[in-house]
Amino acid sequence: MRGSFKIGGIHPAPNKTASRTIEILPLPMRASLPLSQHIGAPSKAIVSKGDKVKRGQLIAENSSFVSAGLHAPISGTVAGVEDIKMPWGKTSKAIIIAASEDEHRADSEERERYWRDLIPHICDRTLSERLTADEIRSKILQAGIVGLGGATFPSHVKLAIKPEQKPELLIINACECEPYLMCDDALMCTYPGRIAEGVELMMKAGGIPRAVIAMEDNKPEAAAAISEALQSSENISLRILKTKYPQGGEKQLVEAVTGRRIASGDLPLSVGVVVNNVATAFAVWQAVSTSQALIERVITVTGDISGGERKNYMVAIGTPLSSLPLTLPGEALAIVGGPMMGRSAVCLDAPVMKGTSGLTVLERPQRRQALACVRCGACVDACPMGLEPYLLSTYGRLRMWDEARENDVLDCLECGACSYSCPSNRPILDYIKVAKQRAKL
Amino acid sequence: MTEKLILSSTPHVHTSRTVRGAMLHVILALLPAVFCSLYFFGLPALWVLCVSIAACVFTEWFITRYMLRRPLSICDFSALLTGLLLALNLPANLPLWMVAVGGVVAVGIGKMAFGGLGCNIFNPALVGRVFLLISFPVAMTCWPLPEAGFGDADGATGATVLSLVKLGQLNPSLLPESDMMWGAMGGSMGEVSAFALLAGFVYLLVVKVIKWQIPVTVVAGLAIVDLLAGYPVLYDIFAGGLLLGAIFMATDYVTSPMTRRGMIVYGLFIGIITATIRRWGAYPEGMSFAILIMNGFTPLINRYMKPRRFSPNKRKEVAA
Repeated sequence: MRGSFKIGGIHPAPNKTASRTIEILPLPMRASLPLSQHIGAPSKAIVSKGDKVKRGQLIAENSSFVSAGLHAPISGTVAGVEDIKMPWGKTSKAIIIAASEDEHRADSEERERYWRDLIPHICDRTLSERLTADEIRSKILQAGIVGLGGATFPSHVKLAIKPEQKPELLIINACECEPYLMCDDALMCTYPGRIAEGVELMMKAGGIPRAVIAMEDNKPEAAAAISEALQSSENISLRILKTKYPQGGEKQLVEAVTGRRIASGDLPLSVGVVVNNVATAFAVWQAVSTSQALIERVITVTGDISGGERKNYMVAIGTPLSSLPLTLPGEALAIVGGPMMGRSAVCLDAPVMKGTSGLTVLERPQRRQALACVRCGACVDACPMGLEPYLLSTYGRLRMWDEARENDVLDCLECGACSYSCPSNRPILDYIKVAKQRAKL
Repeated sequence: MTEKLILSSTPHVHTSRTVRGAMLHVILALLPAVFCSLYFFGLPALWVLCVSIAACVFTEWFITRYMLRRPLSICDFSALLTGLLLALNLPANLPLWMVAVGGVVAVGIGKMAFGGLGCNIFNPALVGRVFLLISFPVAMTCWPLPEAGFGDADGATGATVLSLVKLGQLNPSLLPESDMMWGAMGGSMGEVSAFALLAGFVYLLVVKVIKWQIPVTVVAGLAIVDLLAGYPVLYDIFAGGLLLGAIFMATDYVTSPMTRRGMIVYGLFIGIITATIRRWGAYPEGMSFAILIMNGFTPLINRYMKPRRFSPNKRKEVAA
């Protein structure tokens, strides 16, 4: 029997209909890079208006330990460090780079050579033996790598593990449990060997003896590719889990793989586990083997839009969402990320960022008018944290923050399983989010 | 950009299950029992069904339209289901005006007075039934004897098996169990055929509208008391309204607990209370009372029977 987390969970329609290939999207002429693309302190810009920058050059540095650097995804001139509008309406400071035709052409040729000639042919599986943990970590730090699954926690911090913390297992999260999204699937099908090497580098960097690549059973092609790539690896294994949302939730995944449960407010390391996304492993390999910083990533452009446009693209970070190849129907919901946890965008002027895993376009919201709660208990059954969403939601609505806190509202991971499963279409999660924010105070 | 972007909060996809769908499934699951009641009690049963449903739906329509002035809610089929369940809990020869009164009380007082669907504490159909039972005890305990073949009942009436046993006129261990399973016994319209009810139970489990916990524990609770008291268990399960109540009334979403653990406690107590009333109480049948009593305890059960939390220990208090 295939493993899974034990409590709750839902089975939304997968809709994983994008193709499993990765198309390389042309570089943009203009890129904007928000200084806060990760969890932690925003990066500090080290370039100013009028500066010339080269592709891959550091343009903003770490401002504290939990922070990450930013690199120029294109060569060009800094057009300014100014506020830009983010997809959710707020503004954020960003470095804007504009390229000239010549710079654009040169970058494009270099990038084409990188993906066509360099990536498939580099072969140095001894890197993880030759380099020390500190060297690998400093390369990760210099490349500005953060968790690419969406949480965007700086990777060099996550892998700075002291031996007394006794890391036993590195779990590579390849569940991709969000409906529609396929970027991790495509990456695993395309570069399974590179991912395996990246995992080895991560194990070395963190001093972790074993690793498990965990994915849901809806990705047989990726599973076959990865298991072939892992044939020579003794300490890395592949684990197939049941397809159930949110299998890729950190706590759920650790339970599914190890049977251990992380206590409220604790990190996976408290049970000897470190969790990293599979795309992060690839980025680590790129940083260490090819010295390329995190300046591009795979994203899925998908949705219920009519066929032919659902694809995975290798996109330069900083590319405006509006220049992604898709035609929006007259009125649509544009979701940055997947439909369960991704936020719907107010405007598409904002760029693809390090944590952007996809753009899902839905023609209309599936949520219907909310009716009275009939107390059916579907939300209680669905909650993967064993909470009572109906109750927390009511506390949120009635502004009873203390009661919400006593009923463990802070354990909520905002996966949306409750709102998804409600037959009365109640906005359960909306009220819980409010209660969560207030309960933290 | 000329396109219009729609804004919405997460999650953006949604289950296709609806309240209306759940109600429809329950109504479908009741059809075998409805068919059996028509088969055994004939035309009078049909009239009771029609009047009960009409009274319930009309009451809900009238109250939402003229008293609450809210959008109409009869399209969620909950009033229809209440009417159906009420009818199945009545004797087929009950005067139709009493049926209508029962329907008005069930929806008007049992549900709408509390604020409509989702807000009521007690099962509306049972509120209607118990109101009738207390108000018209003679009419409500004068059961027509079932007669196969959709015919007009010939007017023969009698007591239920349960009351005969209670009065000491019948030895339960002598009853042929097959008759009780198929429905050849006196009783209210919906409770006569155990097979029809069990078919509905299986259907509801398959379409995942109800969980097994409540019906199974109701029967278990009753069986425990019977075993301790030395009563024939099978007879007690198939007699009276136990199955109808356990499968269709006790499982009412609104008035039953939210968690599986809560459902087990709730179901066990319904079974125990039913058996206790049947053995030692004043009434021959105790299912309605047992469910209503436990409906009253449901908020308390919800308060103490929490779901199993994911995290093994409490969140550390953050220093203020």
